[in-house]
Amino acid sequence: MIEDELRAAFARYEALTPSTGPVRAAIDRAVARRRRRRRRVRLAGTALAVAAVALVGFTVVAPRPPRPTPLATAAPSPVPGTGLNVLLLGLDQADASRRADSIVLVHVPADRSRLYLVSIPRDLLVPMPDGGTGKLSATFALGAGSGDLAAGYRATRQAVTRLTGAQVDAGAVLTYQATRTLTDAVGGVPVCLPAAVRSVHTDRRFPAGCQRLDGAQAVDLLRQRYGLREAVLDRERNALRYAAGLLRQIREQGITSDPVRLGRLVGQVGPALTTDTGDLSLPALLSVAVRAGTADPVALGLPVRYQEWTTRGFEPDPTLVDGFLDALRGDRLADWTAAHPAQVVGLR
Amino acid sequence: MTYEEFVDARLGALLRYAVMLTGDPHQAQDLVQETMVRVQLHWRRVARADAPERYVRRMLTNQFVDWRRGSWARRVLLRGEPDEAVPAPADHAQSAVDRDQVWSWLSRLPRRQRAALVLRYYEDLSDAEIADVLGCAVGTVRSSISRALATLRAEHVEVCS
Repeated sequence: MIEDELRAAFARYEALTPSTGPVRAAIDRAVARRRRRRRRVRLAGTALAVAAVALVGFTVVAPRPPRPTPLATAAPSPVPGTGLNVLLLGLDQADASRRADSIVLVHVPADRSRLYLVSIPRDLLVPMPDGGTGKLSATFALGAGSGDLAAGYRATRQAVTRLTGAQVDAGAVLTYQATRTLTDAVGGVPVCLPAAVRSVHTDRRFPAGCQRLDGAQAVDLLRQRYGLREAVLDRERNALRYAAGLLRQIREQGITSDPVRLGRLVGQVGPALTTDTGDLSLPALLSVAVRAGTADPVALGLPVRYQEWTTRGFEPDPTLVDGFLDALRGDRLADWTAAHPAQVVGLR
Repeated sequence: MTYEEFVDARLGALLRYAVMLTGDPHQAQDLVQETMVRVQLHWRRVARADAPERYVRRMLTNQFVDWRRGSWARRVLLRGEPDEAVPAPADHAQSAVDRDQVWSWLSRLPRRQRAALVLRYYEDLSDAEIADVLGCAVGTVRSSISRALATLRAEHVEVCS
């Protein structure tokens, strides 16, 4: 009988069972290793979390509310008189090769008067790490390979640095999941649209004008580009409108001045994010963020024009881009936006 | 129950179960280690389950059934067919070949079917208990086991006739 043979075979092979002692030790070692790694990730996350909540609202991991001591003792700025740039990457859904679909450089001027949200088109043609020319969004996938988000972030950061000549001081990578959680955690985000948008994914309709979006609606809106007048450019403008709305919501809820709520928010959004705080410390980022977040931000896109004769994509608009990048690097975006009102994205 | 108490009581049994699933002591150790690391990291959730032992067995079985892309599965491929290269001693050659054949037929079964056989003929669980571990319906358990046995019988006949 085959059943009996099976029982006999199992019984014979019992002798192969490894002894428990070494296995147990190996388990404990592996657990210790994983706990260490988790702690490191969390510590790095805490700093950016706090800064990012106030900056654009995109957030990170923190197990506890931030400790109040650094708040009281921190100097107003780590390096007085310099601007800061924070790079935020929003990923698309795809699992295998993830692209950075929205790329926002947040510029904090030296006087900390307000935030500038600069959207860089994902279809901008840039030199690729492998020597050719490709879209900026693809640099992330090349770096990330099969899922290393930190490596993807570094590849895109390098491309952005090369493109703008501006130093990137910190950054974060966020997913749809993080955006959804964050939106719900702050109680919805007000967004003002210049024209109605229909979702090709859910058939949901977003009317022109101001509305409050919950997490699922926000992600849905941020995915739409078909049917928009300037397709992907308009989608990137909507991402800026969302970011500004999120910032306003966080400010109006008083979340940045309430360590308990801030901690809870950061804990909720937590695990979905990858972050980079560069050389900055928590108190430095925090104080910058709190000061600059009190005024309405200015949103604008990197000036580009469509380039069709080679690869379909965008190239920097040669009549505007040099002046813009000079202003970004020289911390004179206030003057530049005043001189080029057409480049500013309407937020209300 | 603490994690330590659980390990004291159950680690040996889990290792034996993993040997039967994988047919290899090294793979068994990897499988148990990977599962127990998660058990320890999430011990509070495991301890809250009605029967922690069954919960862990389910984790381990799922890991075995689903683990396609891990290093563990790659190693399975690298090893190739078990025991073919090692000739059995001449005096009980035939019986050794028979025995190892049962084992290598087992290794060719789909993992879910193999797990069902181990749970039935090694762990002596009932259909309902097996269904609980595998997370499927009782009817599915019965059909998996009968299909696995039919495959083994077919192999058996082919070799023995």
